[in-house]
Amino acid sequence: MSATPALAVRDLELTRGGFTLRVPDLDLRAGEAVAVLGPNGAGKSTLLRAMADLLPLSSGEVTRAAGCDVALVFQRPIAFSGTVARNVELPLWAQRLPRTERRERAHAAMEEFGIAPLAERDAATLSGGELRRLALARAFATQPDVLLLDEPFDDLDAGGREALSLDLRRVLDDTGVAVAMVTHDLRQALLLADRIAVLLDGALAQEGRRDDVLRRPAGPEVARLVGMANLWLGRVVEPGTPGLSRFPGSTIELGDGVRITSAERVAPGIDVWVGVRPENVKLTVGEAAPDATVSSIVSDGVLATALLDWHGLVLRTHLVAGRGLGNTLKRGDAVSLTIRPEDTHLMPRS
Amino acid sequence: MNELLEVALRTLAVSGAALVFAVAIGLPIGFVLGRYRFFGRGLLVALANSGMGLPPVVVGLAVALLLWRSGPLGELRLMYTPRAMVLAQLVIALPLIIGITLASVGQLPEDFHLQVRAMGLRRGRAAWVLVREIRLGLLAAVIVALGGILSEVGAVMMVGGNLEGQTRVLTTGILTYVQMGRYEDALALAALLLGLTFVLAGTLTAIQQARRA
Repeated sequence: MSATPALAVRDLELTRGGFTLRVPDLDLRAGEAVAVLGPNGAGKSTLLRAMADLLPLSSGEVTRAAGCDVALVFQRPIAFSGTVARNVELPLWAQRLPRTERRERAHAAMEEFGIAPLAERDAATLSGGELRRLALARAFATQPDVLLLDEPFDDLDAGGREALSLDLRRVLDDTGVAVAMVTHDLRQALLLADRIAVLLDGALAQEGRRDDVLRRPAGPEVARLVGMANLWLGRVVEPGTPGLSRFPGSTIELGDGVRITSAERVAPGIDVWVGVRPENVKLTVGEAAPDATVSSIVSDGVLATALLDWHGLVLRTHLVAGRGLGNTLKRGDAVSLTIRPEDTHLMPRS
Repeated sequence: MNELLEVALRTLAVSGAALVFAVAIGLPIGFVLGRYRFFGRGLLVALANSGMGLPPVVVGLAVALLLWRSGPLGELRLMYTPRAMVLAQLVIALPLIIGITLASVGQLPEDFHLQVRAMGLRRGRAAWVLVREIRLGLLAAVIVALGGILSEVGAVMMVGGNLEGQTRVLTTGILTYVQMGRYEDALALAALLLGLTFVLAGTLTAIQQARRA
C-alpha cells in the first residue's frame, strides 16, 4: 500500500436540492478497489461525480496525487455518433494526442475489453453489454490512475457480469489503477473489492477492509447491505452457567429463553443488535435435542437457502446445493445449530 | 431571362445572408437555452417558440416602423434596400433556429454534458462533439428556416418595396408579373422557387435516410 493515496476525499460536503452528502475521509490507492455500497438515493453516484471533479463541493476537498488522471464510467454511458473506435478515441482526442497514438491506444483498450471486432460498427447499434464494454474501453484508453465505475454491471445478464468481473479483475491487476465502484450487486462488489465503503442517507456509515466490513458491520443497515442476513434485537445478560463466567465474551438473550454467545464483550443489561452471516450457521441432524425446524428451503442449484424456525425466531442459513444436507434437508426436519461465538457480531442499538 | 436570373440570385443572396446571421446568432442562444436553467429562461423559450409562427407581413411592418425615415433607425436609410430585407428575414428565421436548436439540445441523453466533461472535452472540442450529436436537428432548423424565408412575401414586400432591379425577389416578382399579365414569367419564377424548395426538402430527406440505413 503506497503512502500517498492517488485520490483523497477530505471533509467533503455537498448539497444538491435538499440532499447532503458528507464523507469525512476516503482514500483511493493504486492497485486497490473500493466498492461503494448503499441503498438507492444514498449518494453513491454523487460521490463518484464529486471525486471526478464534476460537481461543485459545498466544503472540503478532493485531492489528487500529482499527475493523477481520473476516468469515470457512467451508469448509463452514452454512445456518441460514429463508430465504436471513434468513441474510444474521443477522450484521447480531447487530450490532443496524435492520430496514430490515438489509434493504437484505442485499439489496445478495445482488445482489453473484447470489442476490437466491433471497432468499425456504428456505436448506436451496440447491445447493452457491448456499450458497457465500450464505456470501459473508452475510460481505459486514457490510461487513468483512478477509475470510477458507476454500476458497471447494470443491464448485464449473469454470464455477462461474471465475464466482465473477470476482465475487470485482470485489467486492475495488470494496470494497478485505483478503483472506486458503485454497485448494488453485492456479489460482484465482493469479487472485485479490497475495501468497502457504505453510504447511508448521504453519510459514510463505514469504510474498511472488505472482510472486516463483512464480519463486523457498524450497524444493522450496513449488516443487511453486506449480506449479514440474520439480525435480531437482544439484551446482554449475565451468563447463566457459573462455569462460563470467565468466558471472555457476552451472552445475549434474544427473547423467550433463546440465548446466543458472542466473542465480543458488551456489559450486561445493554440492548444490542445481533448479527450472524447465513454461511456461518452450521446444521446437524439426528442429535438428541434439536434446536430448530426447517420452515422452507430453496435452491438455485448452486446454493441452497434454508429458513429455520428457531424457537420463534427466523434464522437463515446457506448450504451447498446437491451435497450433504444441501441435498437431503427437507421442510419440517429438526436440526441442531452451531454458531461460533466469533461469528456472532454485536452492534449498538441506537 | 437575364431579369429572371437576377431576381433568383438576389433572392438567394438576401435569404442566404439572413440565414447565415440567424444561425450565427441563434445557435449559441439555442445552446444556452437548451442546456442551462436560469431565471427568465422559461419566458425566453416561450418567446422563441411563439416566434416560430410569426406572420412575415407583421414582421415586415415592425421592421418597417423601425426603419422608416422618422423611425428610431431611420438615420441608417435602410428602408427599401436589400439590407432591410435581410434584417426582416433574420427576424423571421431567428426564432426557428433558436427553437429547434434548444429542442435538440434538450433531447440529449441524461448526463450528456457531464459525460462530455468527464472525458476531458472542453470548450471548442466539447462544442464540436455537441454539434455532431445534434446535427440532424440543426440541419432541420436550417432547412425549415431557409424554406420559410425563401417563400415569404409579406416582409420583403413591406421593407424591400419590390423595386425592379433593386429589391425584387422571386415571391414579389411572381406577384408583380401576375398583376402585369406576364404569366409566363410568373410561372418561370414559380418553377424556380418550387425547384429550390424541392432541393432543400430532398437534401434533408437524403441525410435523414442515410442516417437510418
